[in-house]
Amino acid sequence: MKPLNLIALLLFLAGAVWALTRSDRAVRNIQAVYYRAVSPFLKAGSGIETKARSFVKEIRHSKDLEAELEVTREQLGRLRLIESRFRSLEEENVQLRNALKFKQSTRFDVVAARVVRRNPTTWWQTVEIDVGADRQVGSDLSVLCNEGLVGRIDRIGKDRSSVLLLTDEKCQVAARIEGSPEVGIVSSRRGIADGKPMLRIRFLSANSAVRPGQRVFTTGHGGVFQPDILVGTIDSVDKGALASEALIRPAVDFADLGAVFVVLTEES
Amino acid sequence: MIAALLVQQFMPTFTGIYSSRILLLHLVFLCAAVTVGQPTMLLLAFIGGILWDAQCALGPDVGDPEVYVEQVESLRFGFSVLMFGALGFLMQGIQPLYRRGKWQFSVLLSGIAIFFYLAGEYLVINFLRGDFMLTRATFMQMVYTSVLTMLVSPLILWLLALIAKRYGHSLFSERKQKRHPAWS
Repeated sequence: MKPLNLIALLLFLAGAVWALTRSDRAVRNIQAVYYRAVSPFLKAGSGIETKARSFVKEIRHSKDLEAELEVTREQLGRLRLIESRFRSLEEENVQLRNALKFKQSTRFDVVAARVVRRNPTTWWQTVEIDVGADRQVGSDLSVLCNEGLVGRIDRIGKDRSSVLLLTDEKCQVAARIEGSPEVGIVSSRRGIADGKPMLRIRFLSANSAVRPGQRVFTTGHGGVFQPDILVGTIDSVDKGALASEALIRPAVDFADLGAVFVVLTEES
Repeated sequence: MIAALLVQQFMPTFTGIYSSRILLLHLVFLCAAVTVGQPTMLLLAFIGGILWDAQCALGPDVGDPEVYVEQVESLRFGFSVLMFGALGFLMQGIQPLYRRGKWQFSVLLSGIAIFFYLAGEYLVINFLRGDFMLTRATFMQMVYTSVLTMLVSPLILWLLALIAKRYGHSLFSERKQKRHPAWS
């Protein structure tokens, strides 16, 4: 091997080791610099994608009606979410007041966002939305839509964020099954699905009385997702000797995500 | 490669064909790797790998580890640097053929290299997370991504030849130049 080639190879390996040993924080900083640099192109690229999607929709609907409907849907979804949350808060409030242990109310607010880019990476199930740090969106916040849980915020930029979808194996959710004491961890299967994506809930007890059709909600444990958000419906149950698993049909149609809502917390 | 990365932002995923895509950044690197020397190839591999990982790397697992007992690993930042380097060496193996004007082999190998790249990534993901799983859709995603990317490679090779010509540099051997002056 020529000396120059050898030096180049050693430098390359040193560079690779440097990259592989970066901490998560350092990687996030590198990503922030990268996304700041390519931001204008990302906006233009996602603009084209959004326009293409709108064009397809316009074949069926007039543009004005479509825009009006979109805004109305966003507002309706936002109000529904807030209303359902306030109802549960009201119940919680009554319970806590009855127990005389009520300390403080929980703030629950959402920011409406539009999906501007789908699957920007090969293996991870993510989408990009058009809100970021400038709208108080922080990392790891829950993302919902009218139908239920969508995922959580992964990376935040100034005016864009990346959402890790529930259909990605890395997005785990502590969940409970309606009408049963069973709790477990919901996650997706690896790779892209043949047909509609399914989720699975693991760590159910071996003799669990779970049956198809039961709804699955978040427990609120684990510090990521708020409680009582619909995840999906049990499709089938696979009983094991030590633990059972169940397949869940997601409540959300991930192929048709348009408007979503980021749940803001006290910290954000 | 920077230009390829920027153009990549405008290229959508083909959701109708197993969410496949054209990996333009990878393709430009592979086509460049067959035309340049080893030190330059390694420099391009480092730049390409860093840029791609900056775009794709996921954040760490979140949540209470007592609730989420199983951590789900993803590819580490910097992994693509090694993959780009390995594929660069693969492409350099057929550099003599390319220099003799047989660019068709480069086109074919770029498709194969993309498939190896995707398969390698997927195998590492499976190794990190355990339980090997490969759905038909995932396999088809790899195949279609490789084929779609390969179909664009003649254009990239032609553009590289054009750039080389513009700056008075030849990518081909003397013999080839005499036979096909248009390529020089």
